[in-house]
Amino acid sequence: MIGQRKRLSSGLTVTSKVFVRSRNGGALKVVREHYLRNDIPCYSKACTKCQHILKADAQGNLPNFILSESPAKTKSGKRHYIVLDTNIILHAIDLLENNECFFDVIIPQTVLDEVKNRSYPIYQRVRGLVKSEDKRFVVFHNEYNEETYVNREKNESINDRNDRAIRKLVTWYDNHLNNENAAQKINIVFICNDADNRRKAISEKIDARSLTEYIEDLKNADDLRDLIPNETTNFATGENETSFPEYYNDSRIMAGVKNGTLYQGILNISPYNFLQGTVQTPAFKKPLLIIGTKHLNRAFNSDSVIVELLPKDKWKEPSSTIVEENAIGANDNAGDEDDDDISGSSGVISDKERVLLAQEAVKATSVAADDESRLQPTAKVVGISRRSWRYYVGQIAPTSVSAEDSGNASKNCFVILMDKVLPKIRIRTRKAKELLGQRIVVVVDSWSSNSRYPNGHYVRSLGEIESAEAETEALLLEHDVEYRPFSKNVLDCLPEEGANWTVPDIAGTSDPQLAKRKDLRDKLVCSIDPPNCVDIDDALHAKPLPNGNYEVGVHIADVTHFVKAGTALDQEGAARGTSVYLVDKRIDMLPMLLGTNLCSLKPYVDRFAFSVIWELDEDANIVNVNYMKSIIKSREAFSYERAQLRIDDPSQQDDLTKSMRILLKLSKKLKQKRLDAGALNLASPEVKVHMDSETSDPNEVEIKKLLETNSLVEEFMLFANISVARKIYDAYPQTAMLRRHAAPPSTNFENLNKMLSARKPGMAVSLESSRALADSLDRCVDANDPYFNTLLRIMSTRCMMAAEYFPSGSYGYPEFRHYGLAVDIYTHFTSPIRRYCDVVAHRQLAGAIGYENLDLSHRDKNKMDMIVRNINKRHRNAQFAGRASIEYYVGQVMRNNESEHEGYVIQCFNNGIVVLVPKFGVEGLIKLEMLGDVNSAEYNEDTYELTFVDLNKKKRTVAVFDKVKVDVKSVKDEVSGKRKAQLILK
Amino acid sequence: MILSPAERSYLYDSLIQKPTIRPDSRAEHQMRPLEAKTSFLPGSNGSARIRLMDGSECIVSVKAKVVVAAKEANLIECDVDVVGFRDNSNFVSNLKFNLTNLLQQNFPSDYLRLTSKYSFKLFIDCIVISHSSYPLTLISLTSYLALKTTKLPLLVSETNDEEIAELPTFSDDWDNAKPIADYFKGKGKEFQPPIFITLGYVGSNLIFDPSVEEEQVLENGLIVTFYNNKVITPIANMNLAVNSNNSNFKGLNQTAIIKSIQMGNKFGGAIIRALDALIEQDDDNDAIF
Repeated sequence: MIGQRKRLSSGLTVTSKVFVRSRNGGALKVVREHYLRNDIPCYSKACTKCQHILKADAQGNLPNFILSESPAKTKSGKRHYIVLDTNIILHAIDLLENNECFFDVIIPQTVLDEVKNRSYPIYQRVRGLVKSEDKRFVVFHNEYNEETYVNREKNESINDRNDRAIRKLVTWYDNHLNNENAAQKINIVFICNDADNRRKAISEKIDARSLTEYIEDLKNADDLRDLIPNETTNFATGENETSFPEYYNDSRIMAGVKNGTLYQGILNISPYNFLQGTVQTPAFKKPLLIIGTKHLNRAFNSDSVIVELLPKDKWKEPSSTIVEENAIGANDNAGDEDDDDISGSSGVISDKERVLLAQEAVKATSVAADDESRLQPTAKVVGISRRSWRYYVGQIAPTSVSAEDSGNASKNCFVILMDKVLPKIRIRTRKAKELLGQRIVVVVDSWSSNSRYPNGHYVRSLGEIESAEAETEALLLEHDVEYRPFSKNVLDCLPEEGANWTVPDIAGTSDPQLAKRKDLRDKLVCSIDPPNCVDIDDALHAKPLPNGNYEVGVHIADVTHFVKAGTALDQEGAARGTSVYLVDKRIDMLPMLLGTNLCSLKPYVDRFAFSVIWELDEDANIVNVNYMKSIIKSREAFSYERAQLRIDDPSQQDDLTKSMRILLKLSKKLKQKRLDAGALNLASPEVKVHMDSETSDPNEVEIKKLLETNSLVEEFMLFANISVARKIYDAYPQTAMLRRHAAPPSTNFENLNKMLSARKPGMAVSLESSRALADSLDRCVDANDPYFNTLLRIMSTRCMMAAEYFPSGSYGYPEFRHYGLAVDIYTHFTSPIRRYCDVVAHRQLAGAIGYENLDLSHRDKNKMDMIVRNINKRHRNAQFAGRASIEYYVGQVMRNNESEHEGYVIQCFNNGIVVLVPKFGVEGLIKLEMLGDVNSAEYNEDTYELTFVDLNKKKRTVAVFDKVKVDVKSVKDEVSGKRKAQLILK
Repeated sequence: MILSPAERSYLYDSLIQKPTIRPDSRAEHQMRPLEAKTSFLPGSNGSARIRLMDGSECIVSVKAKVVVAAKEANLIECDVDVVGFRDNSNFVSNLKFNLTNLLQQNFPSDYLRLTSKYSFKLFIDCIVISHSSYPLTLISLTSYLALKTTKLPLLVSETNDEEIAELPTFSDDWDNAKPIADYFKGKGKEFQPPIFITLGYVGSNLIFDPSVEEEQVLENGLIVTFYNNKVITPIANMNLAVNSNNSNFKGLNQTAIIKSIQMGNKFGGAIIRALDALIEQDDDNDAIF
């Protein structure tokens, strides 16, 4: 019910909107007052009327007219503006961003609101388009304009009403511009993919077209045609290839989640078996298993899904079979185990029965489950609350393109994604043959219940498969790393002086903040970093005090002096979250000027720093600690090796070297204390790729070496982080930016311990505390195999929880604990150039010492939650991207040197084994077909032994932890275009 | 004391005449003229206001909330607020008790059921902005109007959630909301919330809706409940002149009760018809302020 009520004064009309808000089962009547105005301009430069109604906004700025007075013509020669419907923006945002089409676009506010409700990321991209003004996009606030506002009519659905509002706007623009106004006729083209809306629009004499019709009417239609997103109806396949169960409706899902019969969680597809996924839910200790395409029900890896337990007779053991999605053309339905009865089983299962079932499941997943029941509760996906769909990188499956086909008609073909836990995507393109052998970017549009594969469309090509640029960009895209150059408004936040910026004179300054800085330029500060490091975050100094104690200082680049909260620069940094290090490339969190120059604590120049200065006694106990913003002058920038050499050289007796020796001595004590407290020494197979300096081709792989000076820096950074964590937690008990590392749940180690007890009698990993874990790892030594201990540490690392950032209000103090470091509280403070957490910690510490007021966004629990969620995700992605980059380059190295190496079996399946090669840090799957006779194989689950007849007709047994000789070579997988380490058992 | 002894005596004498002579020349079964307005509070599911000629005014708002039926003792909750009286005063508590008791016992709350688990719960808030005579009738008539015009959002999800739970979801269009009466019509019944009728007993006469002056000289007062076209229990007697001592007040003759039932049955229907006519005549022009 919307009633015109009264005119407050001329030009301002109030109406009220009444609607029912039905959320969480409630039914709230909501009344909103709605003010209409008559001073909203049309933003067209061709308009002669709107200039007269302009009113300045609160800042006194007048709106900017953007739409061109002579817009582009269509093929038929019509100059036109475009009005977009919601469905076009949601599905064709890539096309809108394309620089070849879509200029002078009007986005109705109604549409923008709908887009915002449906997909926030797309909404942001639209806002970006409008803001940049390059493509002349404007938002017209039709809902607030007297002349375009429409009342909802009786029995009209809100969608119909909105469609009508959009049509009204189109009509309004047409009348407004073309009745005694614009010099030349400007057509208003309404693009909409909803046939019904289009029909209504045409009957109202609006030039309404579908997206395809519009693109076909452009001069460059041939280039653009392939970029049109697919609607399900576009696919000629038509007939039901398959039928997935429909998702439950929202009200059922909400109620089910509430009463504990449905569960929500993130789907995690097994990397070895794309038909098997797990969902970890708070209700059960172990994740729920989801097996088979029907039960996975169109969910993608890392979608947020709603699952329902299956009856007990369908509970299964996790599969010990490797299943990879086969090439197209082979059996399309590879490995789909039980397609049988999903719906038709036993009719309805009532909630009461489901509650009982859930109790059974809790029992089954509890730790005490005895060995006889290795059954795990299984579940099926009944709804998807949030899709994880993004840009995907892949390549066209060669088998899905027929060679003799030369026509120009668009054809369906499949795209195999790089991420092998994802299904292949069906796209429709004319250029399939050109795109063969290229890395391409695609987007998923939909996956309807009668389609076996998700439908998507082609976005762009990255280049030849295996070219370094294409592969690097692909892995950045795959890990959602923002790698575009910094935008202008971000760069505008940098100091005007640019690279010529220098530390201002501290004496006699009138700036109260500068006056609070301490001058530490007399301290003998130096930095120790990897060789060729340009973004120097940290520097150190130490000196003996007259009372026999030591003064030790850690100086961190004062990034927050340049990155003020709330600026575009800050927002960009917060969005990126972390710098990303690839083998041959670094993607910065902050612009180069800051990272490698103004903030970087370069030697021989004055720099702003944030310093933590302790007084430590002989045993490295803290006597006193101070935090201050400071000015320092680093005396030298050492590499780890050079620092080590200088410390070890007895002829060096200058003060700087002496202070480094003090640091080394104290760091050893700090380390010993940490280890005594139970800090873990875990391992991951870290390797480094050497590039040929001339061709920058990778030519050698080495395992990273650790020097004493590495741990010197590390210890003091940990030490500073801990001290800062205490200080900011003290000052901001609810929102302090901290980092925690939860103790691993014992279930994570269950499998590892079972393997140990089966293969290495007497060895076990104990989990009572980090100390016990550390000690038990120390005890697990195989006298015959020195590498076994490291192997076990690598495998243990994989069982650990990931450390995470959190605002202190999210957990109680006991849960702050950092398990791996064995400290009660921890944060990241020491690398603000490359981590956003440290930036926040810097601001909070500055607030805690009264240097400046803390920005509201770091004092607000909800805002901190948002920051933390993002940086946790970015941090993870950056790690994955870094590893993927190493993996790619290792692959390139191995390509040239095929050789035999030692490897270790780390997992056994009934049709294959996984082998880790420490030399390269690579692991690879060896399928049974490659090992020998498939039919002769026997897998003993209890002893983790796979017995088979090998290619030389000899019976052979391999088991977990076995040392094996393997041939390592790099092969290109023709289907996914990915180079993988191919291991062949000797 | 709003009347002098002479006025009291004159008024009493005229009221006990047969037929009774009332100061405003009303017949014994006649209510005071009133002016009503319904559905004017935008945020409520139903609302009504009644004003009397003497400036008495009462506003009632009805709000509905979705609840789990099993967890609620009652599906109706009333609150009464009288300007000038503390919320916990006897006067207000009595009014509130009477109204709550009346509605809880005589309102067919089954019709508020949404699904096997969920139900609407009605919150009835009454504000007496000003009053002179005892305001219970005023409140109950206003509540009648408010309840009659109360609309409930339309349920669009399944009504059967016995086996598989579903959270109720509703049409977002307020225009789809249905008056409570429609739920009754579906079952072939008329929706008619109960009302109170105040009667004054004086001499052997019963007078409807006594004014504040009449209250001063009554020998007794009766509250009669009218529901579904007949008088039902509770029937209570009380001294309506709450603020002054009424020297005429005496015990109640049982024939008076029988007579009150007869009169209630005879004239109650007319009151209801008049109220229903009010709702029908009410135009959709929202503005009251």
